[in-house]
Amino acid sequence: MRVWPLLILALLLSILIGAAAGHDWMSPADLLRALAGDTDLRGRLLIDWRLPRVLAAACVGGLLGLGGTVFQGVFRNPLAEPYLLGSAGGAALGATVALLVPLAAPQSFVLPVLAFAGAWGATMLVIGISRVAGAVDAAGMLLAGVAVAAVLGALRSFLMLALSDETASLQIVLSWVLGGVQTPTWPILGLLAAISIACLALTLLLARRLDVLGLGETMAIAFGLNVNRFIAFAVLAGSVVVAAAVAFGGLVAFVGLASPHIARWLVGPLHRPLLPASALVGAIVVTLADAIARSALPPAEIPLGLVTAIAGGPFFILLLARRLRA
Amino acid sequence: MTGIAANNLSVRRNGATLLDGLSLSLGPTGSVAIIGPNGAGKSTLLKVLTGIDRPTAGTVQVGERDLASLSNAQRANTIGYLPQYFEPHWDLGVAELVRLGADRSDRLAAGAIEAVTEKFELTELGRRRWSTLSGGERARVLLATVLVVNPPVLLADEPAASLDIRHRLDVIRALTRRPDRLSVVVVHDLDLAFTFFERVVVIDRGKVVADGPAKSLIDDTRIDEAFSVRFDRLKTPDGWLLRASTGP
Repeated sequence: MRVWPLLILALLLSILIGAAAGHDWMSPADLLRALAGDTDLRGRLLIDWRLPRVLAAACVGGLLGLGGTVFQGVFRNPLAEPYLLGSAGGAALGATVALLVPLAAPQSFVLPVLAFAGAWGATMLVIGISRVAGAVDAAGMLLAGVAVAAVLGALRSFLMLALSDETASLQIVLSWVLGGVQTPTWPILGLLAAISIACLALTLLLARRLDVLGLGETMAIAFGLNVNRFIAFAVLAGSVVVAAAVAFGGLVAFVGLASPHIARWLVGPLHRPLLPASALVGAIVVTLADAIARSALPPAEIPLGLVTAIAGGPFFILLLARRLRA
Repeated sequence: MTGIAANNLSVRRNGATLLDGLSLSLGPTGSVAIIGPNGAGKSTLLKVLTGIDRPTAGTVQVGERDLASLSNAQRANTIGYLPQYFEPHWDLGVAELVRLGADRSDRLAAGAIEAVTEKFELTELGRRRWSTLSGGERARVLLATVLVVNPPVLLADEPAASLDIRHRLDVIRALTRRPDRLSVVVVHDLDLAFTFFERVVVIDRGKVVADGPAKSLIDDTRIDEAFSVRFDRLKTPDGWLLRASTGP
């Protein structure tokens, strides 16, 4: 298959563009000199600031691509997306609590745990609501997701207003809500990369059963799948992925929706190739979107979530229109 | 030899009784047509026998064992199920679907995929995707996907109901022409039921109301009662024609 080398090449190219882009544009020659160990100011800027940020963006994009693929597979709905299903909103609420409410445990531990709890709780809530309401089809699930996301957003806003004394933390929360990759230190970047690879491995374990579930619940049971147990496990795994993406990149809309679609078009609907392809597409999209966020309005930075929402909104409407027509 | 038996099965849902203490012993081999009016409980019976739905009361026995005691993998390999409607959520290719069917067995016979691909003439469909297939092609792909593991019991819920007559006959023949398999098929078309199947079971209101060899059951007036019409029975060279009487 020629698709894989092309995808990897496209990712490397977008990382190069990301490293070059910014208030201060760099040439590939600058990058080569910096990688060779040149420690002038431009080299330090690249190695200490820009490259970690670009690579972190790629990881966050990869996680969003994985999360979107898992949720679309579990809900058997090509319109499912962590952002729309409330799981990203739940993770953001968890992160907000961790940042604004003084808790006994260290924040570096509390934040990812609460982000995960929020993502998982919100997704289970959406599943519960649509089951109770008897609306397990695509539209019912999305409406339940929109409702849950709205309530979670309101709760988050309330927390931000009620605890707005902590101005410094509030700034961080706000950047989270609007979506944005923080520049990590190299060790933190290493952690993020390890988490991303672990998430890819975890979701690949689900691949075959996601394919079987895609035959419909009746056929999946006839083919020996314990459907309820698998859905519960897959939602848990998807929530881990989304929580990791939100903890490092905030609320970035539509990447989890668009990446699986583009990947399905490239490698087909089987999940074993789809998951890594979707991760690569997500990484490319977020790396480029982050480059735009940093360089479009210098010296200001546009929040990443706004860039992806502006680009992804029309994509979603297009998908919806095609689906409604079908 | 496997065979499947329903012991006093009841299914009640939302106050409605779908199966009402139904008992039926099938197999270990042969072809059985299940007929009955709409809402008689035919589809429910098949889903309970497959293990897709759980009965409110009663048990299902597969060979010597209780269906509930089989592992999911054992169940999936023993009982093949063909649904009335099948529409995969993702637009899979023909070979991908057959492969998914084959993957439910951990002891797939060598060459099983090739054999089933050839048998159902799927070779030329190759890499075509589900959305591009005609109704007849879809039926063949679904049959191949379910039969690739060669299950000793096959339960089919009117899989050919929406096809034209030639494809319907193809499907019915594929389902019934295996002497080493038990094929239980919910059949809408009574002529097909009495022409192609060895045994016919009539179900009405969640109960078996008539059961016997196709040849001797054809005259049974309980069929007329179950369908609430009077049938004219017309003998043809290769079977029977049941026509709802239009006379007084």
